[in-house]
Amino acid sequence: MPLLELRNIYKAFGGLQAISDVSLTVNEGEIVSVIGPNGAGKSTLFNLITGVYKPDRGDIIFQGERINGLTPDQVTKKGIARTFQNLRLFTHLSVLDNILIPQHHRLKSGWLAAVLRTPRYVREEEQMKKIALEKLSFFGPRLMSFRLHQPVYVLSYANRRRTEMARAMATGAKLLLLDEPSAGMNPKETKEITQIIRRFRDEGGYTIVLVEHKMNLVGEISDRVVVLDYGVKIAEGDYKDVVNDPQVIEAYLGRRDE
Amino acid sequence: MRDYLLTLVSVGLAALALYFLTVSEGSSGLLSALTLIFIWGIAAISLNLINGQLGILSLGHHGFMLIGGYVTALLMLPARERRPFRTRLLSDWARNHLDLDKWLRGLGLDVLANSIDAKFIIALFIAGLAAALLGIIVGAPSLRLKGDYLAIVTFGFGEIVRLLPNAPEVASFTNGPLGIKGIPGAAGTIWWTFLALLLVLWFFSRLKFSSYGRAFEGIREDEIAAEAMGVNLAYHKILAFTISAFFAGVSGGLYASYLQSVDTQTFNFFVTFFLLVAISLGGLGSITGALLGTAIVVLVRVYGGFLEQPNPAWVGYLSGAVLMLAAFGFSAYIRKARRLRPVIEPKHFIFGAVGAALLIVTIAFFKQPWMQQTVQFFGMRKMLLAVILILIMIYRREGVMGRAEFSWKLIFGPREDIPTDEQRQQDAWLSNPDLNPGLKEEGDDDASA
Repeated sequence: MPLLELRNIYKAFGGLQAISDVSLTVNEGEIVSVIGPNGAGKSTLFNLITGVYKPDRGDIIFQGERINGLTPDQVTKKGIARTFQNLRLFTHLSVLDNILIPQHHRLKSGWLAAVLRTPRYVREEEQMKKIALEKLSFFGPRLMSFRLHQPVYVLSYANRRRTEMARAMATGAKLLLLDEPSAGMNPKETKEITQIIRRFRDEGGYTIVLVEHKMNLVGEISDRVVVLDYGVKIAEGDYKDVVNDPQVIEAYLGRRDE
Repeated sequence: MRDYLLTLVSVGLAALALYFLTVSEGSSGLLSALTLIFIWGIAAISLNLINGQLGILSLGHHGFMLIGGYVTALLMLPARERRPFRTRLLSDWARNHLDLDKWLRGLGLDVLANSIDAKFIIALFIAGLAAALLGIIVGAPSLRLKGDYLAIVTFGFGEIVRLLPNAPEVASFTNGPLGIKGIPGAAGTIWWTFLALLLVLWFFSRLKFSSYGRAFEGIREDEIAAEAMGVNLAYHKILAFTISAFFAGVSGGLYASYLQSVDTQTFNFFVTFFLLVAISLGGLGSITGALLGTAIVVLVRVYGGFLEQPNPAWVGYLSGAVLMLAAFGFSAYIRKARRLRPVIEPKHFIFGAVGAALLIVTIAFFKQPWMQQTVQFFGMRKMLLAVILILIMIYRREGVMGRAEFSWKLIFGPREDIPTDEQRQQDAWLSNPDLNPGLKEEGDDDASA
């Protein structure tokens, strides 16, 4: 059974058909890249999966369950988490708080129990902290000691990206949607991100869908590449096949005048 | 452990200080100022939950307080105050049945009914519940609206609630514009309000540093991200509105008991306005700040009376001159401390010049009749508050406390967010190839992994 399945999704904004008849399956343990020129509908696709938009037609099925029509927080509870293209961290909160908030939806104690600090709440809180540290240790020791208690706005850009990824992991999701994880990074940092994404899959057991513009990153880690253009899926398959597809070349570079 | 002891000791010291104030003579002014700080502090802390922690501008807080005030007043009104000529517009039903004393005796709980303090605790709790119910009703539209639009809706709500007691249909419950008089003053005393404030401080700080408090702050920081991280926006917004309204209702009840009367003018929009000023002064999002801001506002209002006394005109000119010259000197002092050049910025000479001119005018025309004429400036206290607010917004926009809370660690340490020397070295070692040869030899891949 595929982990995520999109069946003939349509989405229009007024007169603009942003996504039309897109189908996609993502199997467990796969790294799937979605590429396409600007305005091709990649981010719309992410927003449809995460419940920010509702599809006009079609079904989104996650672990055998229909999830279209759910609100973003319900989708996250089902096990899909995302990062944002231009970082959306809780800027004035500490790194630790940033990793604790995504675990809030798993809290079983009510607010009164939280205020009274009942034994169960205290246990849950400790468990949350443990998970937070575990997720942050994915990125080595650099966020672990004093940075844990620093507000996010003092962090470097690369550290913020790491924090955002740790935050997505902390939701307890199985499927991570990464929206341009290497945006604004230099070649060295891009290389690191490539490795981290691979470790997400190999060590963390996550399934990953990413939108990316940097082709070397896409080529290096993707098991499968999906190409969108004007909201239509024009190609799908191995990276090498896809980049040599005449339709894809046309979408990116235009038709040769003969 | 150390922190608990310090907190206990300081609460004990505060209680001791209050005790000496109550037994010493001539301190009634200060005591009533403190009572007001405690009552308004509860209201400000509860408003701070919505405006500061949840990040939603709500302007209807006086509505919640009014509900609390009226409910407490009705439930606690003693039998002799319920006679028809005192409560002309109140319906017989309300007069006879909305009586906590009767309720308790009906339930056979005479022990509670005989103690006015116990009755007040119950009445304040019911008042809070009534306000909380309205909080849910106001919280609901907040799911659809954002920012300014929501602020207008909450403001409209507050005004509706304020004007409702005057309506003839409702007057049979509220006694209309006459208001309700003769409420027992027990809950408005210093000890009551002090204990209530302690409870509120405990509750809100526990809430803030819990998972729910973090969820609220996540919504403030970035609603979209919070929702994408699994925070149920609708639930948490309504929860915050409800909790905030509950404590606003309690503070309204305490205030009604302090005044021993309540009418529609008791809780007008200026109540919300002053609370907003208080939390902005103290720092939006900070419980300590809300209390501090309230203290500033109340002290200016209580002790700023001398600003509005009649004085000869030259006092006004002279104080203008002193203020201007002080501003001139202060700006030079600050620029010097910050090592800015030139020490006196050219445009700051305006302050000096105006100050000097006022001083010369005062001295030169001191004997003139228009200088000796008595003048009185009304509204100086509010103006002073406005000036304080402007200065804070210019020089420290986030308020006195910012978003920080008072904590013993802030004073005595250890501060976890400041690296120790050892941590600093470890951090440098992790990223600097000059210190850590391993980074260089194994190439970039390992350096970044």
